[in-house]
Amino acid sequence: MRKTIPQQCEVTYNRRLDKAGLYYRLSVQGFKSPRKIYPGQFIHVKVSKSLDPFFRRAFSIADYSSDGTLDIIYKIVGKGTSILRTLKKGDSLDIIGPLGNNFSRPAKSKTIILAAGGVGLPPLLYFSRYLIEKKHPAEKILFFYGGRSKDDLIEKTAIKKMKTKFYPSTDDGSFGFHGLITAAIQEQLANLDLKNTIIYGCGPEPMLNALQNLAMKYSINGEISLEAPMPCGVGVCLGCVKPKMSDPSKYVRVCYDGPIFKIGEVQL
Amino acid sequence: MKPNLQFEIGGVSFKNPVMTASGTFGYGEEFEKIIDLDTLGGIVTKSITLKERPGHPSPRTYETSAGMLNAIGLANVGIERFIDEKIPFLKKLKTVIIVNVAGSTMAEYVEVCRLLEKAGGFAMIELNVSCPNVDKGGMEFGTDPESMIKLITAVREVTTKPIIVKLSPNVTSIVSMAQAAKDGGAVAVSMINTLVGMAVDIETWKPGLTNITGGLSGPAIKPVAIAMVHKVFRAVDIPIIGIGGISNWRDAVEYHLVGARGLQVGTANFIDPDASMKIIKGISGYMKNQKISSLYDLIGKVRL
Repeated sequence: MRKTIPQQCEVTYNRRLDKAGLYYRLSVQGFKSPRKIYPGQFIHVKVSKSLDPFFRRAFSIADYSSDGTLDIIYKIVGKGTSILRTLKKGDSLDIIGPLGNNFSRPAKSKTIILAAGGVGLPPLLYFSRYLIEKKHPAEKILFFYGGRSKDDLIEKTAIKKMKTKFYPSTDDGSFGFHGLITAAIQEQLANLDLKNTIIYGCGPEPMLNALQNLAMKYSINGEISLEAPMPCGVGVCLGCVKPKMSDPSKYVRVCYDGPIFKIGEVQL
Repeated sequence: MKPNLQFEIGGVSFKNPVMTASGTFGYGEEFEKIIDLDTLGGIVTKSITLKERPGHPSPRTYETSAGMLNAIGLANVGIERFIDEKIPFLKKLKTVIIVNVAGSTMAEYVEVCRLLEKAGGFAMIELNVSCPNVDKGGMEFGTDPESMIKLITAVREVTTKPIIVKLSPNVTSIVSMAQAAKDGGAVAVSMINTLVGMAVDIETWKPGLTNITGGLSGPAIKPVAIAMVHKVFRAVDIPIIGIGGISNWRDAVEYHLVGARGLQVGTANFIDPDASMKIIKGISGYMKNQKISSLYDLIGKVRL
């Protein structure tokens, strides 16, 4: 069995995705995966050899193909991502992965709601492409994507290309539905057979909390992808824990028990 | 000629000096897909207490320059589940298994060790008398020599396994604590546990950790640990297992030179899960280059 140890991969591009230069898509080649990769899993990246920043950084896989091409999409939020932005074609990136669990694959008869909030987009972009590749009917996939403003909605062309139903929304109404993503979803629920619908979400915690509450209110099954600072990424440091819904005195590890959890499993 | 990395502590033979430190390697099984566990010198488990503990609420780790703070709060499955669920995996491994034991009272330590003795499947006990992150983490056993001697004596009555005591650096004299460990009948000391530290988020004005303070680990603490190992090696006749910021084979050699016989790699596991493997190879390579045949020819040989 090949072990999940760090590997050096060559950066093929590190492309800006928005006008303001907050969002980037980075692609590497030559990633030798020790096992099959599924949407929802993440990689753990050392952005520099320096001791500051000290930890690796976790990124959802935004796309992967078995020839060893692996993409991540990130937003510049701090020290780690600021360094990541400086990488150029030909540079090498230290990656461990794939880590964590993945989205479960739904039956083709199901209607799928994908709910991406802000930089929670990457795993759902990958999952959507994967579902279509596995012949899930594109018209049965409802791709909701919410952000603060028009410029926060990236990769719109890539989403449209997949021919899913696309429901963009912005908090300020500058693009698509005016309001929160959960309001945009709620508006569509009346048209759906909820027993036959599954929600998959990824985004900031307040959004996932609202999404989880909405799903529970309407008894819709689904899964959410959580994010947390992860010192180890492999389940041993116990640093990235969240309380269980069934017993908040007990914890799950986002990196090892997740990052994908069933709706209603984790208290947000 | 292949250098000999073997050594012995308390009658237990290790194939090489590199062990994984408590709390940084889970119960071993999490790393099964990552490294070949059998090549390790030893594995020290997460601290085990009598009852299962969830630990503190998040955030309980915090990144610092060249290190990290943690206040996990001794989260562990408890002795019962450890024996039922974790030992069966661990005992199949061809490496020295050391169970780290923590408690808030002497009775708790004794009971955990008694249950472990009944269960078997491991080689040694490491007493955690130095967790800085819980109200009652056995800290008095780590800071007061008399209490430490009493604790080791009591534990020795219920176990046949050799005992290592993990020392806290948060004391006035670590030498007197090492002496107490020897007087109590421990076969070795492992040192150092984390240093008490704190960080504040200047955006929110809140401490980086829910527990407010935590234990600092990583490369940042290595010079502190090296000084303490050096002091104890010169003052107390007891084998030392060096811990504190060991990230590569150079760090490892440095520890050996000031007197560490064994080593524990901790925080480095988070950054580079196969750090231990690289360190084992690196020590071997260094000894070969320096024409040193036995690990013992390095231990404590610093030129003053």
